[in-house]
Formats: sequence, structure tokens, C-alpha cells
Amino acid sequence: MADLHLMDAFHVSGVSVRYKDKTAISDVSFEATSGEIIGFIGADGAGKSSLMQAIAGVVRFSGEISYLGQSYHSPKEAEKIKIHTGFMPQGIGLVLYDTLTVDEHLRFFADLRDLKKDAEFLAYKKQLLHMSGLSEFVDRQAMNLSGGMMQKLSLICALLHRPKLLILDEPTTGVDPLSRLELWEILRNIAKEEGTIILVSTAYMQEASKMDRVLLFHNSKVIASGTSAELIDSIRPFVYEKSLLYKDENSLNFDETSYSLTPLQSALKEPTLEGLFFVNALKENKNIAEFVINKKENDEVIPEVVMECHGVSKQFGSFIANKEIDMKLKKGEILGLLGANGAGKTTFIKMLLGLYSIDEGELTLLGKPIKSGKDRQELKSKIGYVSQHFALYKDMSVKENLLYFASMHRIDKKAALSRIALYAKELGFEEYLGSFANELPLGVNQRFSIAAALLHEPLVLFLDEPTSGVDTLARAQFWQILGKLKEIWGISILITTHYMSEAQFCDRVVLLKNGQKVADDTVINLYKRFPQAQSFEDIFLEFYKEKG
Amino acid sequence: MKSFVRFSVIKAFVLKELTELVRTKLIIMVYMMPSMVTILFGYGIAMDVTHSRISIIDNDNSKYSSELISKFSHSKYFDVTLTHESEAEALEAIKKAQSDIVLIIPSSFEKNLLKGQKSELGVFIDAAFANRASTMQNYVQGVIQSAATTSAPMITLNTRTLFNQAMRDEDAIVPGLIGLVLLVAPAILTALLIVKEKEKGTIFNFYASPIGKLEFLIAKLLPVLMLHSLNIFILFIWATYLFDVPFRGSFFLYWLSSEIYILISLSIGMLISIIAKRQIVAVVLTVIITILPAFLYSGMLMPISSMQGISWVEAHIFPVMYYNHILYDTFLIGQGFDSPKIVLYLCILIGYVVALLGLGALFLKKEMR
Amino acid sequence: MKSLFFAIVFKELKSFMRSAALVAVVLYSFTIDIYVAGEGIDIEPRNVAVGYVDNSGGGISKKILSNLHSPEFVAPVQFLSQKELSNAIYNKEIMVGLVFDNDFEKLYREKKNTQLNVLLDATSASQGFTTLMYLQSILLSFEDIQIPLELKIHKLFNQNSDNKSFMALSELLSLITMLVVILTAIVFVKEKEDGTWDIMLLMPIDAKLTILAKTLSQVIIVMGGVILSLGFVIFGMFDTPMNGSFWSFIFLTFLYTFSSAGIGLFVAAIAKDVMQVAQFSIVIMIPLIFLSGAWTPVYTMHPFFQVLSFFSPLRYYIEGSESIFYRGTPFLDLYPYYFGVMILGFILYIIGFKKIGRLF
Repeated sequence: MADLHLMDAFHVSGVSVRYKDKTAISDVSFEATSGEIIGFIGADGAGKSSLMQAIAGVVRFSGEISYLGQSYHSPKEAEKIKIHTGFMPQGIGLVLYDTLTVDEHLRFFADLRDLKKDAEFLAYKKQLLHMSGLSEFVDRQAMNLSGGMMQKLSLICALLHRPKLLILDEPTTGVDPLSRLELWEILRNIAKEEGTIILVSTAYMQEASKMDRVLLFHNSKVIASGTSAELIDSIRPFVYEKSLLYKDENSLNFDETSYSLTPLQSALKEPTLEGLFFVNALKENKNIAEFVINKKENDEVIPEVVMECHGVSKQFGSFIANKEIDMKLKKGEILGLLGANGAGKTTFIKMLLGLYSIDEGELTLLGKPIKSGKDRQELKSKIGYVSQHFALYKDMSVKENLLYFASMHRIDKKAALSRIALYAKELGFEEYLGSFANELPLGVNQRFSIAAALLHEPLVLFLDEPTSGVDTLARAQFWQILGKLKEIWGISILITTHYMSEAQFCDRVVLLKNGQKVADDTVINLYKRFPQAQSFEDIFLEFYKEKG
Repeated sequence: MKSFVRFSVIKAFVLKELTELVRTKLIIMVYMMPSMVTILFGYGIAMDVTHSRISIIDNDNSKYSSELISKFSHSKYFDVTLTHESEAEALEAIKKAQSDIVLIIPSSFEKNLLKGQKSELGVFIDAAFANRASTMQNYVQGVIQSAATTSAPMITLNTRTLFNQAMRDEDAIVPGLIGLVLLVAPAILTALLIVKEKEKGTIFNFYASPIGKLEFLIAKLLPVLMLHSLNIFILFIWATYLFDVPFRGSFFLYWLSSEIYILISLSIGMLISIIAKRQIVAVVLTVIITILPAFLYSGMLMPISSMQGISWVEAHIFPVMYYNHILYDTFLIGQGFDSPKIVLYLCILIGYVVALLGLGALFLKKEMR
Repeated sequence: MKSLFFAIVFKELKSFMRSAALVAVVLYSFTIDIYVAGEGIDIEPRNVAVGYVDNSGGGISKKILSNLHSPEFVAPVQFLSQKELSNAIYNKEIMVGLVFDNDFEKLYREKKNTQLNVLLDATSASQGFTTLMYLQSILLSFEDIQIPLELKIHKLFNQNSDNKSFMALSELLSLITMLVVILTAIVFVKEKEDGTWDIMLLMPIDAKLTILAKTLSQVIIVMGGVILSLGFVIFGMFDTPMNGSFWSFIFLTFLYTFSSAGIGLFVAAIAKDVMQVAQFSIVIMIPLIFLSGAWTPVYTMHPFFQVLSFFSPLRYYIEGSESIFYRGTPFLDLYPYYFGVMILGFILYIIGFKKIGRLF
């Protein structure tokens, strides 16, 4: 058996990637056999992407990679295996051409790989389109797709030529739970039926259980590997039911769980893969400190209802993005806005912000009816916003960007610097302060954008997938911050996310489907409505399975 | 084994580029810019100085002086204003750019002439535009010489102007304009094709797939070459029908050298695109390094044979000179392939294509930097 | 408000400085490019290549030829037959061919009408014409015909007819136009492409302030280039005379760059990406530069273009600049140029402003 697979064996030995002055990944070795799905998990900036780029042959590296009996040491030597590889780099819609339609992309990528367009190909293409839910959008140009749809399109473009070695850098970031399930379905099928080796990085730990083996990246090294069960087992002794009694540098609490390197008195708990990150943080002595936030100096009176809208609709051509949405955001409330890709979440938030005009309906923000752009002008300083692909000025460092945003909000430099230092520490992007925007890993970019949205201490936050692609630890910290902000400043938050587990942090959840509101309730009430649901993901899927 | 270049791969890129050019409406610019420049400049640029504004102060008011003035009035080169201002006032008018030349006829003009004595005419020329000043000076001298020499000089010039018998500005300028636009327009379009993908991230589609560098370059250049090839014909029509420039040479030579020349322009743009990391750099660089040499070394302003020193060397470095030589031959002369020099120049142009594409392939890396 | 404004200006300047390549290209444009333009060209006939075939075998022809000297002519080259001479002209090695017939010397000595055959490459018509004029006057002086008239020619403002400084200055003025339009347009379009546009919109700042600050930053960059270019090239290399006031020129340049930035705003409003910026700005700028008289004097244009040229702000700028440099026109007498630039600039800026403001 082993001999049979020798030829398609995939080896990585002693691979390191260095940029000018820093080591992105050092001395990684692992191997895989055909049909294996190998997961790359780890903190943002731990070197996952660099390793993937080295394997895909798009960046210089040292060490040796071999596949199908051919070894390569440089991008040039990697040419010969590129015919067998499929690579999807990190970044939303990165490889798509704005003005090409979905169908034109598929045709382009097929031609790029010199594929024959026979019946088999057409059937496969149809299957991919169906799986990704893009069947209805074949004639839409890429620039008009939602972030999640872009991800799915990029993925199926990488799958089109049935690669033998598939390298996917966070393919599911920004993709909704339903599509993620379908996407994994396809990946597993490809691995099983075609013997494809799949290397995939992800920030969704639930997906790790679907992988044959997981490599855990940390500080440019692979520090552990094994099946997800093995990795979970490795932290079993350190995970307890929540215990508030013990608090030292050897333990930390998050959500309903306590992690501790020293034994606690509370009962052991079934660990999850997320726990790996917390335990790792403890081992590194990198405790997540309590987030300290002071009451605002000049407390403004916040109206009881921060945002209220009635019958808000938006149409792009013949496509109805939002249809008669009513919504209310109260003072000090965290409202989760959930829905599949293309359900109209981003459109809705952009209308609230005034980035899109409102076709129909009424909107009141902070007690003020919004009729024109002028009405918004003075509200701008009271609103914080994080977008799906939040962009920085590329030619300035993170710190310079933040200082610039602060100055735009008339925050004096001293206050700005101290706030930047605070958020940089809390959100863990301290080491990136001097980096230029285009060098940032996606997850770090999101953290920074959250900081940018908080700098001017807004009264209301509109967050569009702020946690997409962000690693577990930073997400945990992020939700802690949001909780504190709500508690101490009393700010209101409207947030979208594809991590269904995050729904439980929301006071109320609104579900959008095809541009319409299908649910608006507390998480507890929703669990009551679907008693058989194991997790919130099940509830989400229930709504989407219902027809109509 | 895969073949050297694969048609389907190239086709994929060409289709994609064409679709993008059409969707972003850039295709309009591809055809608008060259024609606009040619028509505008063809109609507008006059190398001759006609209608110079000459103010004549006639202090003599005699028969002879008015004969001299009428010589100026009848010349197409001058617009005469008789003025009774003082010399200082007339000079002030030049200072305010209200007149170009002041001619002062002395009070003793007729008297001196009749006595056979020399009389001195004062001429003041606005030399702010230096070239124009020299030309105007020549015209003034010409008029006065012809007025003064009643008996014909013994040696007459029997001039046969070659190539441009009527000495029409259009004949001299329009072919040069073709050389200008076919260098600038394709280069600007290609300059962004690769750097744009680098900035956006779509370049990964090239990095991570088995497309050869050569295939990629061909795929990037082919659509622009195809689109601009049509301009060769459009510009030909403007030149011959709109501006009545004669066409005496071989159309095949015109077409062939133009295609090669467009390829050179594309390769320059592509090289910039490969080297530049940012689009803005590529745009500014292309504009700067194509427009100026295309003008200077076109032969429109100054024959290459008159150049010396640095400008002679530079003229021989830029491809414009070689193409324009062939261009003027096909329009005005018509030696065609019979001339060894034209064959040589054609080879040099091909050499440029090979060298530039080679450099492009050398600098193009299939990896992130 | 003020500090916000300067924060934006400062950010854009920093952003510019960060791109070493861009800085290099702009520096190159303002120095070497202008130097080459000044050094490279002479529209007056200089070094005209002359060839001759001498069948007369006599001394007269030699005497005439000896009058063809630099700077206008290079030493004449002898050809053995008219065919060879023609070939050289066809190959553009020779611009003027002189053919002395068999009977040239004889006829001249007999004081009969004598013909000198001239073959002229008139591809560049004006140079051909001027060369003929030169030949004519050389012959006149050769024959020593007494004209009872003496011309006393004064060239005003630029005594040496210094063509280099003029070409360099023209190039500088055109360059200012091109750079300010492209740079301003790209500053805005870059935000569209990079996705920072939305962020810019959500800043609690008046859109007018943002637009003004961003344009000012690019105006500053170009003004910096102008000063460099004046110092190193225009005055440094070419000794261009400056008969007027330096500050009136700087003031005029400032007004002009701001109005051209208005064109940049307009381009930014209609362009989606840098690619379109490149194309649109060239299509808009070329007529503008053309109609300004930078390359051909306005009054020699087609009457229709003459009317149109009133709408090119560059026309007022160029005429104003020439007046300042060469004619030394005093500040107050420059008002038509200031007003021309200001009024057109104001209109252009308002159009551009409105157009891009709509996107805010």
C-alpha cells in the first residue's frame, strides 16, 4: 500500500521563507499522501501563508519540496508541478477580475489550464456552480458580488482543473455556514475520489475536525501536528469548567471555560480545538489581560433607540438586495446580523452609513431622521465602521494610518498615541505597528480596522464581518472588548459574522435571507424555537433549509 | 510535454483582456486618441510663420517708402499696420505681445536713395520665440532684398524640391504624427496591463499556474497589438484623404513597419509595467519617456542629419527615427525595399522588438517580490 | 479645521515621498527631461548637410561652396554623379544638393544668366524654406551686389535668439500641465482602487476640505519640481534670461497648477481606475496643450482653433510666462494672463469639484 503511494507522496523538508529582514516561516518539514487533507491552523502571521506560497511555487524559499517524485527548491523549479497544483491565495476576491462575469471567470480559468470543454467538464462546472450557490449569478460581474460569493468563485476557479495538489489559503473566510458545509463536502469528495492532497488553512476551528491532520503554526514554526482529536487530547488536562476563583498568570477564562496550566478545583471540561490557542498562550506566558477601559470623560446622552428603520429597500438593477427591512437598535445593545452570502447584510449596513442611497424606507440615526447627506455629516464622528475588506493607505505604516484616522477625528496626538498603544496591545497587533498595510496578514488587518473604528470613541458601531479570518485568541479578546464597551460606554453595536458561535455574544439576532428579514429574536428564544439544535449553526441552517 | 506556446492559454488571456477593455470603455480611447492627435495637429501645426504682425513707422511718407510698404502688404507672411506712434510706443507694443516686428523707415529714405546713398532701415523683432524670430528676420530680409534689387542677380537658384514639392506643412507633419501616436498610445495602454494585476493581486493567476512567461507576454501584448493594428489603417486614411498627403511607396512596407513599430511601443510599455511596482509610476514614466522623444526625434522639427553631439546619439537610440525614415519614404519618396538603408532600418526595428521582449522576459519573474 | 486640512496635505505628501520610484520619475521629468528638450532641438537650420556635384571644374563653384559654413552648414560633401547625390538625399544623409553644370563657370564669366541647380529635401518644409533663404543671401553677398539699403536688426528680449532656453521653458510648461493633471487624478482614483474611498467618505470632514487639501498636496509637489527645474536647468544649464519678476512667475504658476488640478479632479470623477486616468488625461490634455500655442503660435492656427484656444488656460500661462521671462513685462501689465488663468481655472476647478463632489 505504502509503495503504491510512494510516487504521489508529497514531502516538505526543511522549508524556510525569509523576507528582507524577517523570517516568515522556518524549517518546516511534513509529508502527505494522496487523498489527505492537511489543515494549517495558527495565529495570524504565524507563517501559514508563507509556507503555502512556497509550496505553490510563487515565493523564494530554502529547503526542498517534492511531489510526484519531482523535487523543487525555487519557484523556477516548481514550474513543472504547477500543472498539478491549484492555489487560492489569501484575500477576498484577490484573484478575480472586476469586470468579468462569473461565467467568464470559469471560462478563463478553464482555458488557462487548457481544459477540454467536454460533457464531463460541463457537468463538473455545473456541480461547482451549484455547490457554491453561484448558479443564479453566472452573468454577474465580479465587482458586484458579495465578499463571500467572491471567495466561493475564487475557490471553484481553483478547483476547475481538478488539481492533484490543492493549496487553499483561508478559502472559507467570509463564507456563510451553509456554503462552508457544502464546500467541505466537495473538498472531501475530491480528496477521496481523486486522491487530491489538500492543504488548507482556516480560522474556523470546527473545520479542523474534517481534516485528516492538522499542523499548528506558531511564531514561524510548526509546533504541533496530528489529528484534531490528538491535538484536543493534548490539552485535555488544562481545560476546566468556568472558575472565577483562580486568577493568576497560569490561568485565564473565556466564555464558559477556564484554561489553566496548574490544576483547578472545578471539573475538567471537554476541550475544543480553540482551547489549543488559549493553552498555547498560557504556555507562552502571553496572558490575555483584562481589558481596562475608562468611562468617557464627556458622557454624552445617548438616545434609547440608536437606530431605527422602517421598510428599507434597495435594488440593483433587477436584483433586490434588501426588501422592506424594519430594524431597531437600542442603546447598549449588541445586535447580530446573520445571513448567507449575498443575503443583503453589507448592503444594509452601507445604507445605514450612507455609502449607498436608500431606495425606499425611513431611517433614524441617534434620534435624527436621515433625509440627506447633510443630516449625516455631524453624525459621522459618532459612528464607527469596519468593512468586509477594510482598506488602509498602502504606503503608510499601520501606526501612521491610525494617527491619520485619529487626526481626522480631531483627537489630539497624545490621546491618539495612548489609545493606539492600548488597542495594539489588547488586539495583539503591537508588532505590526511599523508594517506597511500591504504586508499584513488578513487577520491582522481586521484587528487594526477594529482599532480604527474605536479610536474616536463612537456611540454606535457598525461592524461588517470584523472577525473574519481573525484567529481564535484575537477574536476572544475582541468580544471581551465589545462587551466592555457596551457595559461601560453603553454603546450599541450592529455586527455581522459567519462564526455562528459568536451569536451567543449578541443580545439579539436578526437573520436575513434573500434580502428579507426572517428572524429577529434573542438567542435564547431561538434555541427554544428549535429545541433539537446542538449549536447555533443548526438554527441558522434550519432557517436556510426552509423553503422560500 | 507541453508545446512551446499553447493557443488556448493565450486565447484565454486575450479574450479576458479584450472583455476588460470593452467593459471599462477603454476601447474608445484606443481609437479616439490617435485620430484626435493626428487630426488636431495635422490641421494646426504650422512650421511656417505667416501673418507676422509688423508695425511700420514711415517717417518719410514718400513714393519709395510706400512702394516698400506695399511689398510687405502683398506678402502672405506679414500683416501690416501703419502706425504714427513713436518708436518707444511701438516697442512697448512688442513688449505687450501686441506686435511682432517694428520697421522704421527713416525720414531721408527717398532722398538718400535718389542720391545713391545708403539708407538705414531699423528693424526690431520680438525674439522671445527664438525660432520664429529667425524666420521673421529672413522674411524681412527677403522682402527688402527683392525690393532693392531691381536688376536680377546673375546666379539664379533653380530649385527642385524633392518629396514635398508644394512644401506643404501637412506633407511634412502628418507622417511624423503617425510616428508619434503609434509610439505613445500603445505604450500607455500596455504600461498598466501587468502592474495593474500586481497591484490588485490577480497576478497570482499567472504565478501559480503553468503558463509560460512567453505565453503570458504574448497573451498580454496580443490584444493591444490587434486593437492598434486597426489604427495603422485609420491613420493612413486620415493622412491620405483628409490631409491629401501623397502616398508614393509600398503599402506593404508601411503596414509591416507599422506593425513592428507598434510592437516596439508595446514592448516599451510592457517593460515599464514589469519593472514598476505601482501604477502611478508606470503612467507618469511612460508619458515622460515616450511623448518627448517621439516629438524631438521624429524629424518633424529638425532633420536627423542636422543633429550633432548628444542629440544625434539620442536620436539613434530611440526607435522613432528609424520608423519615421521608412514612414516618410512610403509617403513622400517611395524607394521601398530597393533602398538598402530602409532594409537596414527595418532590421533595426526588428532588433528593438527582440531586445525589448528579451529584456521583458528576463525581468518578468514568476514569483512574489 | 486648519489642522485637519494640513493633516490631509501632509499625509498625501508623505505618501508621495514613500514611493521612491515615483519621486525618481518626477525628479527625472523636472531635470533631465527638460534638459534633453532644451539641448535636443533647433528649429533653425543648423548643420545642414550639403552635397554637391561639380561639373564646372572651376573656381567659382569652389568659392561659392566655401561660403557654406557652420553653424548653418556642415562642410559640403562631394559626389561624383547626380545619381549618387540623389541617393544620398533619398537616404536622408544630405538635405541640400547643389549641382554645378558644365557651363556654369563659362556662363558666369561671360556675365550671362547662370543657373545653379538645387535639390532640396523638403520633408521638413520650414527648414527647407529657410535653407533656401540662406542660399539666396549667400549668393547675393558672393556676387557682391550693392543694395542701397542697410538693415539694422535688433532682436528684442532674447538677443542671441537662444533657442535652447525657449524649448526648455516650453517643455517645462507642458510638463507642469501633464504632471499636475495626472497626479491629482490619481490621488483620488487610487482611493477608489484601494478601497479607501468609503473610509474617506465616513470621515467627519467636509468633502470640500478633503478635495482642496488633496489637490493642494499635488500642487505643492509640482511647485517643488518647478523650483528645482528653474534652479538647475532653466537658469543653471541654459542661462535663460529673467527680465521680469521671479515672483510673478511663481504666482502665475501657482494659479495655473491649481486650475489644472481642476482638470485632474474632473478626470478623477469619470475614471474608475488608473488605467482610465492615463487615457482620459491624455485625451483631455493634448488638445489643451496644442491649443495653447506651446508648439505653434496661436495666430497661425486655423481660425476655428484660434477661437478655441481662448479656452486653454495653458495659453494664458505660456504667454504670461514668455512675457515674464523674455519681455520683462511688469507685474501689473500681466493682468490679462492672471485673469485668463484665474477665470478658466476657476471654471475648471468648479466643474471638477462639482463632479467629484457628487461622489462624496
